[in-house]
Amino acid sequence: MGVHEIKPGDVLLAVEDISLSFGAVRAISDVSFDIRKGEVRAIIGPNGAGKTSMLNCINGFYHPQQGTITYKGQKRSAMKPYEAAAQGIARTFQNVALFKGMSTLDNIMTGRNLKMKSNLLTSMIWWGKAEKEELEHRRFVEDIIDFLEIEAIRKTPVGRLPYGLQKRVELGRALAAEPELLLLDEPMAGMNLEEKEDMCRFILDVNDEFGTTICLIEHDMGVVMDISDRVMVLDYGGKIGDGVPEEVRTNQNVIDAYLGGGH
Amino acid sequence: MEDFVIEFMFFLEVLFSGLLTGTLYSLVALGFVLIFKASGVFNFAQGAMMLFAALSLVGFQEMLGVHWTVAFLLTVVVMILLAWCVEKFVLGKLVNQEPIILFMATIGITFFLDGFGQTLWGSDIKPLDIGLPTGSLDFGGIFVDQLELVAGATAGGLVLGLAIFFNKTKIGRALRAVADDHQAAMSVGISLRNIWIIVWSVAGLVGLVAGIMWGSKLGVQFSLSLLALKALPVLMLGGFTSIPGAIIGGLIIGAGEKLAEIYLGPFVGGAIENWFAYMLAMVFLLFRPQGLFGEKIIERV
Repeated sequence: MGVHEIKPGDVLLAVEDISLSFGAVRAISDVSFDIRKGEVRAIIGPNGAGKTSMLNCINGFYHPQQGTITYKGQKRSAMKPYEAAAQGIARTFQNVALFKGMSTLDNIMTGRNLKMKSNLLTSMIWWGKAEKEELEHRRFVEDIIDFLEIEAIRKTPVGRLPYGLQKRVELGRALAAEPELLLLDEPMAGMNLEEKEDMCRFILDVNDEFGTTICLIEHDMGVVMDISDRVMVLDYGGKIGDGVPEEVRTNQNVIDAYLGGGH
Repeated sequence: MEDFVIEFMFFLEVLFSGLLTGTLYSLVALGFVLIFKASGVFNFAQGAMMLFAALSLVGFQEMLGVHWTVAFLLTVVVMILLAWCVEKFVLGKLVNQEPIILFMATIGITFFLDGFGQTLWGSDIKPLDIGLPTGSLDFGGIFVDQLELVAGATAGGLVLGLAIFFNKTKIGRALRAVADDHQAAMSVGISLRNIWIIVWSVAGLVGLVAGIMWGSKLGVQFSLSLLALKALPVLMLGGFTSIPGAIIGGLIIGAGEKLAEIYLGPFVGGAIENWFAYMLAMVFLLFRPQGLFGEKIIERV
């Protein structure tokens, strides 16, 4: 619809001079960066650097006071979260935001919400069609469950699952929307080594097999340097570094920020 | 032997009457469950909504002199409008706030509706007559109130419809998702706004139906608003999140209080009916705080 096809390597999302404050507190000041289609883009930085705020701006939870966000060639002002979702932006949360009373399967099914056509009225008039549609989506969701190797907990209410598995279910819910841009907020926080390796594998597989563009926040430097194509570094709401992992690793500002030498 | 048969028939009559009154409680409880299930808010205003709906229905009938079906449709429009206003002016401003804040807001809505309804339609007791059958039917010696039968059937139908709606449709799942986590629901593309308008409309409709039944029985008056209090023990028994629970809870409370009145009343001086439900709910809270069918409260520490 007027939006030209974006090829791998082209800019999918561009953030320009964004500033965000809460009252007198500046969460982000004048940050610009871009995410290219098909890449794994990492945002790193010490606690309180504005990483999560950045994701919240991208998917519409926060509306920055200054700056613009261009997604798929369209510049946009304030966007609501469900509109961002409708345009192919899915995400996970730092403190796992799942529907705790619902089963794994139902949680992931909610991710299909936007893909389902039948509404209240049509499903009342033509029940059979709505049921058939439900089944088709169910099949898709089962594929995701297989992919993430969580068959055994299909029917378990997610509130009962250990943290690592909850993170996996949350990834499943985001994948169910077949997103173009996937935002992951600390997908490996609180995991043991084995769980981290699994999660890395899933992220890379999603990126490889479906060509999904991924933007992730992570604290584990080993992981970040391993799986990312490019890394942006934030500190006190400002950008202090940006580039391929090797550049960032040797950037003096970044080293100072992490070792506390600069302050 | 003869005595025993008469005793037994009497018992059955009390039981049926209790069960059917119970479905009337269930109708009120149903409105609470809907909103609680879908937004995690305990809607204190459910009783006021019921009163407001009944007042509007009677008001339209009186003022316009139209058939009750027309008045019914007009009232449905009013309740949808009310749902829209609640979202627009109250809940919409309180996204991501603590449940207690939302609860306080519904208390505000209660007072507003009570006052507004009476300002619009007056505060006299009004008869509500939409041609529902009255009087009793004789089932081989057991007398059953016809109005209560209709109420029972209506409640059954509503529950069936709502259960299918909640468990089998996309909107139903979206409703449950919103109840669980606002942020996450928005991130998968659910519009909070639409969901809240839908659920408050449905709760308004259920309130209207409950208001018609109670209004036919007692007349439309301010005390209908207080019936909401009778729904509380029903909810504690059935669970705040279960639609079938609201029905079963209503049946247990209805039958329990009638039987207790007849058979235990004489030993403690009567008037058990007034407090039995609350007593039962309290005992229940001790042993099964989530109610019979409520979602188990899961907390990982």
